[in-house]
Amino acid sequence: MARERNVGVFDGFIYRGGGPMLAWLLHRISGIGIVVFVGLHILANAFNGQIGSAINTVFMSWVFQLLVFFCVIFHAINGLRIIILDLWPALLEHQREAIWIEWGFFLPIYAIAAIVIISKGLAG
Amino acid sequence: MEITLKVFRYNPEKDAKWHYETYVIEGQPTDRVLDLLEYVKGYIDGTLSFRRSCAHGVCGSDAMRINGRNRLACKALVRDVGTKITVEPLIGLKVIKDLIVDMEPFFDNYKKILPFLINETPPPADGKERYQSPEDRAIFDDTTKCILCACCTTSCPSFWANDDYVGPAAIVNAHRFIFDSRDEAANERLKVLNSMFGVYRCHTIFNCTEACPREIQVTKAIGEVKMAILRGKIK
Repeated sequence: MARERNVGVFDGFIYRGGGPMLAWLLHRISGIGIVVFVGLHILANAFNGQIGSAINTVFMSWVFQLLVFFCVIFHAINGLRIIILDLWPALLEHQREAIWIEWGFFLPIYAIAAIVIISKGLAG
Repeated sequence: MEITLKVFRYNPEKDAKWHYETYVIEGQPTDRVLDLLEYVKGYIDGTLSFRRSCAHGVCGSDAMRINGRNRLACKALVRDVGTKITVEPLIGLKVIKDLIVDMEPFFDNYKKILPFLINETPPPADGKERYQSPEDRAIFDDTTKCILCACCTTSCPSFWANDDYVGPAAIVNAHRFIFDSRDEAANERLKVLNSMFGVYRCHTIFNCTEACPREIQVTKAIGEVKMAILRGKIK
């Protein structure tokens, strides 16, 4: 009898798809990050008192803000890349260049945000 | 040079679970991975099973995962993949034995898109061919190169998640007929591809384009089919 479908949860991480696949994985992970951030906001408002304050402390901490900014900025820029490529299929031939352009936009924008968040966080 | 070849092994008649076997063999930088597998089968372990036919990148039989990505064993040279080589079966299909996978789900999806010319109009009165200009032919030239090796479909995370998704290879072959000026069944194919398991399962991950041994712009072809569905017209 043949072995069942040769696929597992971690195949997505093991397959060497290169830059575009990394962007796809980060898009999913950053999407979950944004949902967690929005979810914590809703929970903080739903619970008054100590529980609400505790949740507020979590998502307002500078470490969490650093992660949230990564998720939001990456998700937005990667989303724009996908929209542009989907609307103009002729550009799909240049998908490798599109990935480099994406990182070219993402890294300086995130670096500026990270420097501001970290310096403010460390200053207290 | 010394080459370490790690091969996925699974014999359903003997093994409860798959395992890897490592063979250390002598080879040349210009050897193909297929040559190494042939050597192992011929001189070390005759029970090793894998598909091969033309051995020149035309038939598409020997698609497998080499060092973590889909390639044809007959086109992957040692100098390109290194001296430590891991060979595994394609992802997303049932493993029948060792490197041989069950291709039936792949071909079932291929059949869904009606992969043949459909033209009910009687042929020209002079009995000659249905004329097609070089410009019209150029529109689908890239997608005629597909050899149905399944490298693209089995590199696609959407196909790993659900093998009801028709997959990149089926869409590439649909593209080949949808944009053929002599074909008259584009709407039928677009209807199939506009379904739940059609083109919109493609999330532009580009694994298919990277994996294609014929260098077909697979994601571009899928994008053109998406636009044809969106616009409701071919041109």
